[in-house]
Amino acid sequence: MVDVAVVGAGQTKFGNHPLGLKGMWAESAENAFATIDGDFDPSMVDEAFIGSIAFGGGQIGNTAALLTEHTGMDNIPVRRVENACASSGFAFRDAWMAIKSGQADIVVAGGIEKMNDLSPERKRFWLGVSGDTEWERLAGLTFPGTYALMARRHFHEFGSEHDDLVNISVKNHMHGLENEYAHLRKDVSFEKAQNGFMVADPLTLYDCCPTSDGASTVILAADHIAKSLSEDPIWVLGSGAGSDNLALHDRPSITQLVATQRAAASAYNQAGISAKDIDLAEVHDCFTIAELMATEDLGFASRGEGGKFAREGRGLRNQGDVTINASGGLKSKGHPLGATGTGQVVEVFKQLRGEVESNRQVNDASIGLTHNVGGSGATCAVHIFGRDLI
Amino acid sequence: MSSNQCIEWQGNLACLNPNGLVIKSRHTIAGKHVFGPDSDNTTLAISGLNLLVEESEIGSVKIEGDIDSLALQACGYSIDEEAEWTISCDDNNASISISKNDVFDWDVEGVELDSQFYDDICEAWSKEMNAVSQGAFVSEQSYRSGAASRMNFSSQQLGEIRIWPPREMVGDQRPQQAPPLSQNGVIESWTKLSAGGAPSEFSLRAPLLDGIATVFVRMDDGPCGVFLIADDEMKLPEIGNRVTFAVRRLYAQDGLIRYGLKALIC
Repeated sequence: MVDVAVVGAGQTKFGNHPLGLKGMWAESAENAFATIDGDFDPSMVDEAFIGSIAFGGGQIGNTAALLTEHTGMDNIPVRRVENACASSGFAFRDAWMAIKSGQADIVVAGGIEKMNDLSPERKRFWLGVSGDTEWERLAGLTFPGTYALMARRHFHEFGSEHDDLVNISVKNHMHGLENEYAHLRKDVSFEKAQNGFMVADPLTLYDCCPTSDGASTVILAADHIAKSLSEDPIWVLGSGAGSDNLALHDRPSITQLVATQRAAASAYNQAGISAKDIDLAEVHDCFTIAELMATEDLGFASRGEGGKFAREGRGLRNQGDVTINASGGLKSKGHPLGATGTGQVVEVFKQLRGEVESNRQVNDASIGLTHNVGGSGATCAVHIFGRDLI
Repeated sequence: MSSNQCIEWQGNLACLNPNGLVIKSRHTIAGKHVFGPDSDNTTLAISGLNLLVEESEIGSVKIEGDIDSLALQACGYSIDEEAEWTISCDDNNASISISKNDVFDWDVEGVELDSQFYDDICEAWSKEMNAVSQGAFVSEQSYRSGAASRMNFSSQQLGEIRIWPPREMVGDQRPQQAPPLSQNGVIESWTKLSAGGAPSEFSLRAPLLDGIATVFVRMDDGPCGVFLIADDEMKLPEIGNRVTFAVRRLYAQDGLIRYGLKALIC
């Protein structure tokens, strides 16, 4: 079966972006096109998948058609992919499958979200639209609340502590400090993160990612074309996806994300590797507790040991077992919902090619992983990338 | 029924006598009873009926006053003008009488409430009633279709497994309707959301309440659920606390007050 490579990847800066949807998408696409080494024209793209929640309702219908017509990808099959915060993780998987199936040779996967051009009141209505509206939202829960419930239960069952989450926050801010695409480039001290404003007890402001504008674009190609487009293609070694009950109350446990475990098992199996082979992982730290649980669910730490993993600094760049969130993660780099998944791919693509700022390069990185979660874990996509085919 | 049993019940004050009961808000301002921050005639009436039904058989009721009939029906009480039991509201004293014949009253001392807080909450509810959703919302149709589960723990069963909230299918099977869950459980986790962390539906009242608390509860019958803590619950939640439930106001939108079960710490 055909192998699939990423031959180009780019993004906008995440944060408060001055441009609208079309402008952000064009900027992101141009940045991605610029990373392609060979002769490339956007009209060569066979199909496109664009992840977005369409936050704010500005362009819910036919989002992908509007965006691609502004970036030279006219008249090709396109669609918006929606799976909450995992929208573009799944858009990437769809693009990979389109090539795997033999139906396409060059496919674009991307994501976009414009979150900061709404009034505060309208924004609050849209935050949390991906949770269980009828039962969780009516009980006062949006995502800070659902992840706070997970955190307190994890503390209770495994003896993890809020200071473990503080370590994650400090690490990710440190990683993101030199990332020119990051939303929050701030050096955050342990004491500051420890004493943040309480958002959803026990989670403080420093446990929560920001709401960001942003777009990201990835170009995938079949093996017989990849080498003509890129001198250094990054190969997709594994693609896994999983789902779980939407509402926390329907899950057997609220201290793990089964969707992540399912997606990871599938991706590892496909790649023929295990967690110990991963050099860097971009994990979905919408809240610090989400990263703590992800280190367990992805197999970097044993069940219940995520707090210890964070405490011992085992996810620090070039110091730990595996570099977790070299980009700064959602916490520092930002979280433009639909753009986050392919934004993670952009980071791994550049890291594996040695193209990030030198002071934040992961040394000798040859295998990377992306982990993109929808909401509180109803959906998850995990992808594994390598400099070489295994 | 013994005569004049007066008790605290679901955060309210209730007095049973051979003819029925009087139930009042425990909150007072200058000695006059006023509704709590998430209470009204409807929540008092349901609370009173749930107490009275332990003593007497009540199938249908007649309503005299401003009470949400959907909420009563969702809790298993039908409305009938010829009913034996009459619910009478005393709006000026946050008091409800449920009786077979004479309306009666009962003097009881309450807990003084800050009058400014009370005025602010009333104003917030008034504004909230006129609020229109600008994003995610639960439509009136969805609210109505889930009302019996939301207000009375109406449940389902599949084999030995009790199910709540209701599900359409489990595997290839449709669960059967089952009796309501018992209204008891244990807190497995909890959080308190700041005003900024709460959904927009609560944005007017959350600052006045100093945030809102939500608990993850494992019910004694098996299923789990998430619930708001009642607004006037004074105890802080802890994992392992036992809880019971009472129908209270959740929020208002599009001119409709949404009611549901909130947790009370035992």
